[in-house]
Amino acid sequence: MTSYIEEFNGIEKQKDYYDNLFAQLERANEEHHAFNLINKDAKGGFLLSTKANICVRGFETDAGSKMLKGYVPSFNATAVERIISDKRFAFAGVTGMDEFGFGTFGTNTEVPARNAFDREYAAGGSSSGAAVAAALMKYQVSIAESTGGSIAAPASLNGVVGFTPTYGTVSRYGLIDYANSLDKIGVMARSSDDARIVFDMIRGIDDYDTTCAVEKITLERRKKIFVINGMLEKADSGIRAAFEKLLNKLGSRYEIVHVDSSIMEKAIAPYYIIAMAEASTNLAKYTGYKYGLMSEDFYKQYNEFFTDARESFGIEAKRRILLGTFIRSESVKDKYYTKALVIRRMLIKEMDRMLKEGYILSPTLPIKAPKIADVKKLSPVESYSMDLFTIPPNLGGFPHVSFPYDYVDGMPLGAQLVTGHGNDYAILDFVKEWEEGFEYVYRKNLGEL
Amino acid sequence: MQDKEFDRLLKITRLRVSAEERVQIKSDFEQVIAYFDEISSLEADGEPAYHPVEIPGRLREDKVKPFADSESLKKRAKTSNGYIVGPKL
Amino acid sequence: MKIGLEVHVALPTRSKLFCSCSTEGAEPNSSICPICMGFPGSKPMLNKGAVEAAMGIANALHCPINKRISFVRKVYFYPDLPKSYQITQMEGAVGSKGHLAIGEKRIRIRRVQIEEDPAQIIRDGALTLIDFNRSGTPLVEIVTEPDISSEEEMRSFISGLRSMLYYLGVDINKEIKADVNISLAETRVEVKNVTGIKNMIETLRFEIERQTELIKNNEEIARETRGYNEKSRSTQTLREKESDEEYGYVFEPDLTAFDIAGLEFNEPVYANEVAIELAKGTDVSPRTVSEIIMLDKDSLRQIERLRNRHSLRSIIHGIERYKKYGSMGSVPDKVLDNIVLLIEEGKEVSKEVIADLESGKTVKVEYSQLSDAQLGELINRYLEENPKLVREYAKQPKTINLIIENIARGNGLHPKEVARKLVPIIGRFAEGK
Repeated sequence: MTSYIEEFNGIEKQKDYYDNLFAQLERANEEHHAFNLINKDAKGGFLLSTKANICVRGFETDAGSKMLKGYVPSFNATAVERIISDKRFAFAGVTGMDEFGFGTFGTNTEVPARNAFDREYAAGGSSSGAAVAAALMKYQVSIAESTGGSIAAPASLNGVVGFTPTYGTVSRYGLIDYANSLDKIGVMARSSDDARIVFDMIRGIDDYDTTCAVEKITLERRKKIFVINGMLEKADSGIRAAFEKLLNKLGSRYEIVHVDSSIMEKAIAPYYIIAMAEASTNLAKYTGYKYGLMSEDFYKQYNEFFTDARESFGIEAKRRILLGTFIRSESVKDKYYTKALVIRRMLIKEMDRMLKEGYILSPTLPIKAPKIADVKKLSPVESYSMDLFTIPPNLGGFPHVSFPYDYVDGMPLGAQLVTGHGNDYAILDFVKEWEEGFEYVYRKNLGEL
Repeated sequence: MQDKEFDRLLKITRLRVSAEERVQIKSDFEQVIAYFDEISSLEADGEPAYHPVEIPGRLREDKVKPFADSESLKKRAKTSNGYIVGPKL
Repeated sequence: MKIGLEVHVALPTRSKLFCSCSTEGAEPNSSICPICMGFPGSKPMLNKGAVEAAMGIANALHCPINKRISFVRKVYFYPDLPKSYQITQMEGAVGSKGHLAIGEKRIRIRRVQIEEDPAQIIRDGALTLIDFNRSGTPLVEIVTEPDISSEEEMRSFISGLRSMLYYLGVDINKEIKADVNISLAETRVEVKNVTGIKNMIETLRFEIERQTELIKNNEEIARETRGYNEKSRSTQTLREKESDEEYGYVFEPDLTAFDIAGLEFNEPVYANEVAIELAKGTDVSPRTVSEIIMLDKDSLRQIERLRNRHSLRSIIHGIERYKKYGSMGSVPDKVLDNIVLLIEEGKEVSKEVIADLESGKTVKVEYSQLSDAQLGELINRYLEENPKLVREYAKQPKTINLIIENIARGNGLHPKEVARKLVPIIGRFAEGK
C-alpha cells in the first residue's frame, strides 16, 4: 500500500469535489458524531482534522468538555501551525473526544462518537472522533493525542493506523493538558506512510514547549518480537485466538519470544496515579471568568463562584480531580505520587532492555469492540483495566502503533507494536511491511475519487 | 472514606456534587484507591522519573515579543475600563 | 522572640518569567498572552535572565547555587491566579543555606527561589477588577530562618538586603513585600503579604503586643495565617488558610530540571562592608559613608574616583552639597571636582555656585602639584589600565589629546603638565614597552 496523501495530490479533482464530500460527511456525521465542527471552507488540499484538545486559531476547541464551550483559541498549536502552513493540506474540522481525554471508549462526553463500522458500538477513546473520521473518509488524516492509549484504542476499534510517537518528539504547545508528562500528539491515518508523512511535518524542537526535546528519529529494525505472557492471559479468548493467528503469520519473519514482566503487568495503577495527580492540577484553572464556559454572577464570593462554574465538569472529570487531589496531598504523596514516579523509572529500564533486542507486540485492547450501552455498565476500575496493553508504552513514553490485523464478526481488531525511544520509524516501517500482505477494509470511503 | 474527608476534598477542589453523584463517586473513590494501594506491594527504589525521556532544559532569552492578538484574550470576559471582571473577594 | 521573613522581590527582566510579554504594561491587560493568562493549551518557557538574576541574589546571600533547578505547582484558588496554581520552587530552588550579615550577626537564609507573580487585583466597590499585566512577572522569594530577634535587626536586615539588591541591579523602588513569621512563644504566627518596611515594623509591633497579651492571660496563641490591615494598623486572621496538605505540590511537568551551572551573574557589593573599608584611617565614620552609598552607586563611584586626591570628608561634603542644591539626579564629575576643590580651599559652595558650575562655568581651579615621580607613576598606571587607548594611539596619534584630558581631569592636573610627562612614556608603551 502506498500513501493516500501522494495519491490524492496526483489526481485531478472535479470542481464540486469538496462540496459533495462535505455534504456526504455531514450526513455521515449525523450518524457517527465524529466531528464537533466541520470546516466547509476547507478546499484545495488533503483533509486534516484535529482532536478537540488541540488548539486551532478561530475554531472552538472544547476538549470534549462543557467547561470549554465557547473557547476559541487565539493561536494555533505548534503541530497545527506546522501542517496548516503547507498548502497540500486543508483543515477539515475538530473531532470529538472523551472529556479532557478521560476515557477508553469515547463515551465520557455529551455526544459520544460512534464506531465507523457499526454505530451501536463504541468508537474507543479518548480520540474517538479522530479514529472515526479516518475510518469514514478515504483521503483524510487525523491529528490526535494519547495520554494512556487514546490513539491506539480508538484506532484499533475503527480499523485505522494509530501512531503515538516518542514522548517529546511533537510539541505540546496548544495541546489542552490532561497529564503533561504523558501527553503525546500523534497521527491516525489509513496507511503507515501517511502517518509518517504527517509525523515528519509536525515533529521537531519547539521554542514554545520545553519538554519537546527529541529531534533524532531512527529506523533500527528488530528481528525479535516479545509477547508478555501475563498480560496476554488477561485478554478475552476471542482476542487471544485472533492474536495467536497473527503471531503465526509473523513467525516466518520474526522470532517470537514469550516473556514475563511483572512491572508491565502492574503499570495501570502507577499510570493512573501520575495521570490523575497531574490532571487534578491542570483542571484547577477552569473557574469560569476568562474563557470557555462563563459564570455570570460576579457578586458571588469567589469560592462560591468557582464552585458554581466547576459544576459543569462531567462525572469522570470530577472523580479524577478528587482522586488526583487526594493522592498528591502532602501526607500521602510519597506513598502514591512519588512512588508511582519511581515505578515509572523502573518500568522504562525494564522495557528499554527488551526493546533494544526486539519489539513488544500485543493486542491493542483485551476485548472486542463493546456496545456503547455495555461500556456504560463498567465501573471505573473495570474501565481502567481495559488500558492494560496501552499503558506500559504510554507510561514509558515509548513510540507505539496500533494497526488493523483481522476482522472478526465484521469488526476490526488492532495489534499494538512498541519500540524504543526515538526508534519511531522502525514501527511505521514494520506496519508498512504488514500492509503489503494485508488489505485494510472500510465500510465507508467518503471522498473516494 | 469518611464524609468529613470527602467534604474536605470537595472544598479544596471547589467541586460540588449532587446527592446521586456523591454516592457513586464515593464508592468509586474507595475502589480506585484500593486499586492504587496495590503499588505498595511493589518494591521500588531509585529516583522518580518526572518525564519518560531525558529533557535538557532549554532556556528562553530575556527578549520581549508582544503577543499580536492580546485583545482577543479579553473577548469572552466581562471587562470594565480594560480590566477583567472577576468574582468578589 | 523569633522572626522569620519570606521576602518577595521582582527580578529585573525585560520579559516575564515564562513568556515573552513585557514586564512593563501601561494600559491594564495590554501586556498579556495566552501563557501569562493561563489559557488552555499554553505552556511556560523559562526566562534565562530571571534565572541569572536570581542566581546573583542567591550568590550574594552566600547560598551555594544548585547545579540543577526545577519547579513545582502550588495549587490554590484565587481570582488573581490564572492557572489556579503558581509555578514556584521547593527542593529544586536556585540556592539554599546561605546568610546575610547584619553587623556581627548572621541571619541564615533557608532558600532563594524563583516564582511567578499573580495578577493585580483592584477593588471597585463590590467588583473585582483584574489586571494581568503583572501576572507572570518573575519574583524571587528569599526565605530566612527565624534568626531575627528584634525590630532593630529586622530593620538592618531589610536595609542590608535592599542595598545588596540595589547593587545587583534590582529595582527596589517597587516596595519590598514580605510574609512575616513571628513567634514569641512556641507557636508560629504568619502575617502574609506585608508591603514595605514601615508596615513590616507596624506588623511586628502589633503582633508583639497581641501575643504578649495572650501569654500574659495564659491564653493559647493559634498557629495561623493573618493579614495586615494598613488602615487599622493591625493584623487579622485570614478567613481562608491553606496548608502544604492542600497545596499538594507536584513537579511542574511542563518544565524540566535545568542545568544552570554555566550561567553567569553579577557579583555582589556589600555597601556596609565597603563603607568600613573606605572609612578606615579617615575621620569619617563608617556609618556616615554607608548612609551615603547604601542606595547610591554613583556616590560610591565618586568616592572611589576621588579618594586618592581628596579627603573623604570633603568628597562626602561635596556630594551632600550637590544633593542639596544640584539639579541633576547625580553629580557630573567635573562639577563635583570643582565643588570638592572649593570645599578644600575653604570656600562656600552655595546654590548659586553650583548652578554656575552646572551651566559650564568653571571656577578658577588650582591644579594639583605633583612631583615628577608621582606624575610618572600616575601616567604609567593609567596607560597600563587602558591598553586599548594605547593601541589606538599607535594607530592614530591624535588620541593623545583624549588621554591627556582624561588624566588631567581625573586627577585635577594641568593638561600641559601631563602632556610634558606623557609624551616620552606613551612612546615606550606604544612600542610594546
